[in-house]
Amino acid sequence: MTDRRVVITACSAITPIGHGRDKIIASLQKGISGVQPLREDELFGQFIHSRVYGTVSETIAYDFKRQHRKTMGPVSYYACQVAREVLEQAGLSTEFITGGRLGIAFGSIHGSPTVQRDIYKIFLSAKDKETYQKIGAVDYLKSMVHTTAVNISKMFGITGRIISSGTACTTSSQSIGFGYEAVKYGLQDAMLCGGADEYDTITVAVFDNLLACSTAFNDQPEKTPRPFDRARDGLVVAEGAGAVMLEEYEFAKKRGAPILGEVIGFACNSNGGDLILPNLEGITKTLQLGLENAKISAADVDLISAHATATKMGDIIEAQAAAAVFGSNPHVVALKSYMGHTMAACGVIETILTLYMMQENFIAPTLNLEDIDERCAMVRHVQTLMEHPVKTAAIQNFAFGGVNTSLLIRKLT
Amino acid sequence: MTRQDIENEVRDIFLREFEVENPELDVNLREAYGFDSIDAIDLLLEIEKFLGSELTRDEKKQAMDIRTMRQIIDYVEMLAEKRRTTKG
Repeated sequence: MTDRRVVITACSAITPIGHGRDKIIASLQKGISGVQPLREDELFGQFIHSRVYGTVSETIAYDFKRQHRKTMGPVSYYACQVAREVLEQAGLSTEFITGGRLGIAFGSIHGSPTVQRDIYKIFLSAKDKETYQKIGAVDYLKSMVHTTAVNISKMFGITGRIISSGTACTTSSQSIGFGYEAVKYGLQDAMLCGGADEYDTITVAVFDNLLACSTAFNDQPEKTPRPFDRARDGLVVAEGAGAVMLEEYEFAKKRGAPILGEVIGFACNSNGGDLILPNLEGITKTLQLGLENAKISAADVDLISAHATATKMGDIIEAQAAAAVFGSNPHVVALKSYMGHTMAACGVIETILTLYMMQENFIAPTLNLEDIDERCAMVRHVQTLMEHPVKTAAIQNFAFGGVNTSLLIRKLT
Repeated sequence: MTRQDIENEVRDIFLREFEVENPELDVNLREAYGFDSIDAIDLLLEIEKFLGSELTRDEKKQAMDIRTMRQIIDYVEMLAEKRRTTKG
């Protein structure tokens, strides 16, 4: 059997720079940041040095029936909202959605920390049976690592395969990649893919203690993160969600589905070593494998969506790897500069934003990139909004644990 | 506590906890309202609160065959009667 082509027929994102296509495009074109002051959550917020957070400030309507809501923590609310929007956009029949040929690849970095926190609060204060009984029958379903994927399956009656990666920053790029492979190799005809993460101070504290968070712009949140800039001082944790519908090309074409783009390649590898430090060899290899998988050459790529979290070392290693594989021809944008690092959602959100730029023929500049660090200068950074067609793009993501992914997407003309 | 009191309370629980307004007495709750095993566990907790007394594991197991509102009311009535006679 020959490999099947895989296209994207719908997408939706909830991000710190907007919920939905028009708001997100406007933010990208006007250079609006979604980074705001860290919220107070009565935990140990006062000890965290980084006081900034990529915040979803729009009110999201969670008008789900209780029957669906009852097993959702905040992360699943986000996930089900974008999943619903994608299913509506894609216009697939109920018969197909529930028929077993549509699967789900969706994850979060660790389920719902908000719900987990409440469970542990009860455990740690347990004095009597009454306290014990406060642990609800559904707390696990709300907080478990695959809570997003299964809540989507329940809400929409999707009966195909479930893939729920939880590989930190590569969670949703893996969702798209593994979903792409499932459709490409005929295991499913369509896959609903994505990732989500909710507001969570624990994640900020973890990165803060690793000295990886931005702290120098607490009074001017919109000035950070600053990928590739000389003054960058670390990442900004963020919340958000995104979903895309992948379909087999002939199936999508036959039913007259809107085709937003084609996934033409995917690669994923592991550094096989240090779990934190970025690894030039591992990352370079992923980018090469991505090109090989897509069966294109480096010269075919006109845009790179960089992972670029704005850490000191990460950005340098990524720029070196991108230059080694792609040279200095493709434009490079660091989309986290607009909203911070949405963790499990970053891969899918960056894919969706890249699709928007492809459709609207523009390339957004990397925000806050005022003075390019000479150690990151070997690639073609975008510093002002460009009207420019994008035919083929590479979306790269790298995670704690040494996991790397490269996705390649193409505009269908 | 009359049977009507029990029925009123169960209806209150259904509205408050399960967003089901005026469920019919003899329909299958799962089929009609999507009432599932998770809801059943929550219902038992609400019944414990209502009776002011914990249910034994055996009593909880008896609830597993319940399918309709009428059966729930019968079940709560049985539990209330048992507690009344035990106290008496």
